[in-house]
Order: sequence, then C-alpha cells, then structure tokens
Amino acid sequence: MLYLFQVLNGLGLGMIYFLISAGLTIIFGLLNFVNFAHGAFFMLGGYLCWSLTELTGNFWISLLAGPPVVAFLAWAAEVTLIRRIYRLPHTFHILVTVGIALILQETTIMIWGPIGKSIPVPDGLQGFVTLWSFTYPTYRLFLIAFTSLIGFALWYLLERTRFGGLVRAGSESSEMVALLGTNIHRLFARTFALGVGLAGLAGTLSAPIRGIHPFMGPEVLGIAFVVVVIGGMGSFTGALLGGLLVGLVQSLMSTIWPEGASLMIYGTMAAVILLRPYGLFGRA
Amino acid sequence: MNATGQARAARHAPENPGQGRDVFAYLRSGPFGGPTPAVAALLVLMPVALPSSTMATEILIFAMATLACNLLLGYGGLLSFGQAIFFGAGAYLSSLATMHLGAGLLPALLAAVVSGAILAALVGALAVRRTGIYFVMMTLAFNQTAYFIAYTLSDWTGGDNGLLDVPRPPLTLFGAALADLSTATSYYVFTAVLFLLVFIAVRRVIASPFGSTLIAVRENEDRARALGYDTRNFKITAFALSGAVTSLAGALYAMLLNFAPLENIQLSMSENIVIMTVIGGTGSLLGSLLGAGAWVIISDMLAEIWPRWQILTGGALILIVLFLRGGLWGGVESLMRRFSGGGAHHAPDGNPDDAGPPPQPME
Repeated sequence: MLYLFQVLNGLGLGMIYFLISAGLTIIFGLLNFVNFAHGAFFMLGGYLCWSLTELTGNFWISLLAGPPVVAFLAWAAEVTLIRRIYRLPHTFHILVTVGIALILQETTIMIWGPIGKSIPVPDGLQGFVTLWSFTYPTYRLFLIAFTSLIGFALWYLLERTRFGGLVRAGSESSEMVALLGTNIHRLFARTFALGVGLAGLAGTLSAPIRGIHPFMGPEVLGIAFVVVVIGGMGSFTGALLGGLLVGLVQSLMSTIWPEGASLMIYGTMAAVILLRPYGLFGRA
Repeated sequence: MNATGQARAARHAPENPGQGRDVFAYLRSGPFGGPTPAVAALLVLMPVALPSSTMATEILIFAMATLACNLLLGYGGLLSFGQAIFFGAGAYLSSLATMHLGAGLLPALLAAVVSGAILAALVGALAVRRTGIYFVMMTLAFNQTAYFIAYTLSDWTGGDNGLLDVPRPPLTLFGAALADLSTATSYYVFTAVLFLLVFIAVRRVIASPFGSTLIAVRENEDRARALGYDTRNFKITAFALSGAVTSLAGALYAMLLNFAPLENIQLSMSENIVIMTVIGGTGSLLGSLLGAGAWVIISDMLAEIWPRWQILTGGALILIVLFLRGGLWGGVESLMRRFSGGGAHHAPDGNPDDAGPPPQPME
C-alpha cells in the first residue's frame, strides 16, 4: 500500500517534470536554443499562483490566468532580446538566459520576499479519495489526471494541428519553412512562449503540493536537465518517459532513504550516461 | 594561422632545433615575460589601493578560480557550471584536514589540489561523454549532486551551518616555521605568491602544445580528432587542471574566512565564477583578474546598501553578450588599439588573446 502511494506520488511528480522538460525540449527542437531561465519561469508560475490565489481567493482563476502571464513575459523576452542572439553559439544563449534567470530570481525576492510560502490546496480538492482500504489525496489524483490531459493536448497540438506541423517542420529546417512563406519570427516567438508557458503551468500546479521559494529555479532546472539528458533533447516521448522515471525514482527513494532522494535523481543520470551515453532513446 | 595550424606547428616545432629561442624573445613571451611583470606589480599595488588587504586577498582567490574557469571556457570552449564542486570540495577537505588530522598549511593545500584534480577528472570523464549543451547541462546536474552530497553529509560538512572555526595554520616547511599568517597582510602576501605561481603555470599550460591542442578542440573538435588527437583525454586533463586550481582557491577561501559555508558548493557559486570569467573576458588571463576584481569590489560596495544587487550582474551578462563579447578586457584592448592606432599584436582569429597563446608557437 505504501508503495502504491509512492508510485502515484511519483507519477504526479513525474508528470510535472514532464511538463517542464517538454517545454525545454520544444524550444530546443525548433529554435535550437537552450533556455537556462526555464527554472526561473517555473518559479514565477508558482509565485503568480500564490498572488492570484490571495487576490481572488480562487485557485482555478490563478490556474487559468497565471501560466498565460508567464507565457506572455516569455514572448516579450523573445521579441525584445532573445531573437537577437539565435545566430550566436550556444554558450551565449546560456549566458543570456542565466542573466534572465538571475534578474527574475532577484525581482521575485524584491516583490515577494526571500522566505518561502505555501499555497492551500484548492477548494473541492482538499480531502482524500478512499478506494477499499486505500486513501489518496484528491488534489494529487487531480494532478495526475490534469497533467495527463495537458500532455495529450500537447501531443495533439504538435502532431495534429497546422501549428504543430510548422513547429516540427521548422525543427527539421527553419530556413525551408521560412522560404515556404511562413512568418518564422512569429512562429519562433509563439513556440518560445508555449514552451516557457508549460514551465509556468508546472510551477502553478506543483505550488499547492511543494510550496514556493525564490531559490527553486536552479533546483528545477537541474532536474529538467537530468530528464532531457536521459530522454534526449527534442524528443517528446523522451521527456515523458524521462520525467516519469525521475519522478518515480525520487518518490520511491524518499521512503527507502529520505535524505538521499534528491541525490538518487542525479545518480540515475550518471548511471544512464555510463550505460547509454546518448540517453535511453538517443542516437549518436 | 588558425588554431589548428598552431597545434600542428606546436607539435612539429621541437623537431627544428635550429630555431632555438633567443633570450629577448623568451623575456617577451616566456613564463616570466609578457604580462607577468605587470601582474606582479599589480599584486604589490592592490593592498595599498584597495580598502583592505582582506578584500585584495578575496579578489586573488576568486581570480584563481576564474583563471581555472577561463582555461576551460576561453581556451577549451568548455562551459562548466560545475566549478563550485571543486571550490567547495577544496574548502571542505582542506578544512577537515587541518581540523581533524592536524595537517599543516602546505599539506592541507596540497590535499585540496590533489583531491580537486581527482574529483574534476571523475566529473570530466562522465561529462565529456557528451558534447555541446548536454555537456553543460551535465556539469550543472553534477553541481547539484555535489551540493546534495555536502548537504546530506552534515556530520562532516556542517550542512546548512557550514564548517565553523576553520584554522589558518602558520606556514611551515619540514617542521621549520617560516611565517605566521594570522594577520590580513601576511595572508595576502602568501596568497599573492600562490596566485603569481598559478598565473605563470596557467600561462605555461596555455602556451604548451597541450594548450594549443585544447584551442584546436575549441575551434573544431572533429578536425582535432581527425588529426589524431584523443580529444576526450585532452578535455579530461583540462578539467583536472582546472579542478586542482579551483580547489586550491576554495581551500584558501575557507582559511581566509575561517569558515566553509554550504554556499561554496552551491550552483550559484559556479554561476558567479562563470560570470566573473565572462565579464572579465574569456580567453584572456588578465581579463580573469579584472573580472574577479570588478565582481568582488562591486559586490562589496553594493551588498551593504542593496542586497538585490545581483540583478545588475544579470543585466551585465546580457549586455556583454549583446555588445562586448570580449568582456571588460576585450573592451580595454580595443580602446588601447584605438589610441595607439595599431592592432599588430591582436590574435588573428578575432579572440582577445593578449595573455593567451601568442600567434607564433614558442616551443
């Protein structure tokens, strides 16, 4: 029973990691751009959730409004700054986004203070669901269902719509897509906003479970990197399976060896790198 | 001549004994020539010009860490967000050696250097299995690993509280007491001597065939491999050298503060080291000193009045990428060129390589 509990926890956590990594991966796939500010935008999603919940008293409004605000900020950053540096080597992408992450983190401390905050579990999802002798928190169950829905919607968006087709075609050759008459700048900006918005959504959803603090950005970024190193950058399936693997490892380890649960995430990465240097699904 | 050409020439140069180096060329570009006398003069001036010699010591310690980061980033093209692993490990291990084993100053520093090199070789061996962004992401993930290890081993590291009461032993050699380093000035002199040695050593490494090959790897790894170099081993060796120097800096920092905080091994320390390197200018050793100096002085001035001054560092990073990719030192160089009217000594590949590899191989 304890293990079933932890497996469900791991699935929920893993789906959160999947949303973050999918955002990172979609951006990298189309824009060939590495976003080191991804964790900071995740944190911002959590803080917007806190403020909007305080303001309106309703978690659902903040779930609807918060991630779009994060996506809009990302869009603004793309239009004003990031599109100027696509042509530079990756090192410069990293430096600029590290700069953005620093600015976001320090601004967050200026606005919300350096101490962490907790967010109440939303009304209607507070209790437990009991099935035979097994009880499980309703919000965590909702989390698994909702993130699965989002994951499916994302798959549909990327695989079945015109926008998704352009993103996938652009990942193969953005020049060709531009030559065929697509406004590639607009596509890039929208994709960047979508990817970062996913990080904001993940931040919003995980806030009632794990709370928020201004230094969570680097932590989340590290985990997202583990997921994409395991699953492969630019791979949607890799992000899903990598995210679930990391979530399950962390959740199961926290019953066996609580202090080492975070450590085991990175141990998993080291093991994968030793056994399969190009990740579980990667090719050379 | 491009970098790969340099590497090739450096490899073949020893076969031409007729082209022995003459004394004046050696003075100009050898380990004791070039910018080294200027750096030595700066080391003498720094404690006088700055508000305190403790601050000057701090600058030199971070400049050491920045030199090591620059060796990887500026010359090997390897962006490492894992430098705090070695900085923190050096601080912890040297402190534990002096506290629990009663180690003297030099044995403790030596322990830091050796363990830093070994640790960096291990991290490097794993990380260089991938290249490009995966490599960078793995160094960051390994930094998180090291942080959680230090956090978990709180019996040894003091966890969140850090290691308190780290001693600063006197300088002894074979049992003979040479100097008591308890005053700020004497510790500065000791650190300055070590810094100069490290500066000369890094210069030497960069000018060696190894350094030229490292630059060849930066410019085009596939080409370097096609020429027969085992690029992975070169990268691991560069990592080990960088780790050794960074670890030494960490050990010196713990002795300066008499304290080894958990922050030493946090990702933010790695970020700070990278930021100092980039602000100073990658690929230029003088830039590293400039970057560390600017960072320490500005943080000291602003931290008191505005705790969120790191917003400015974020802005500075963005501005440097947009407008001043050579960093501060690159800016100084282009100003000097404008006033002197010539650019003869500038490296041909457009990198600000003043203190770096000379256009002609020396060996």
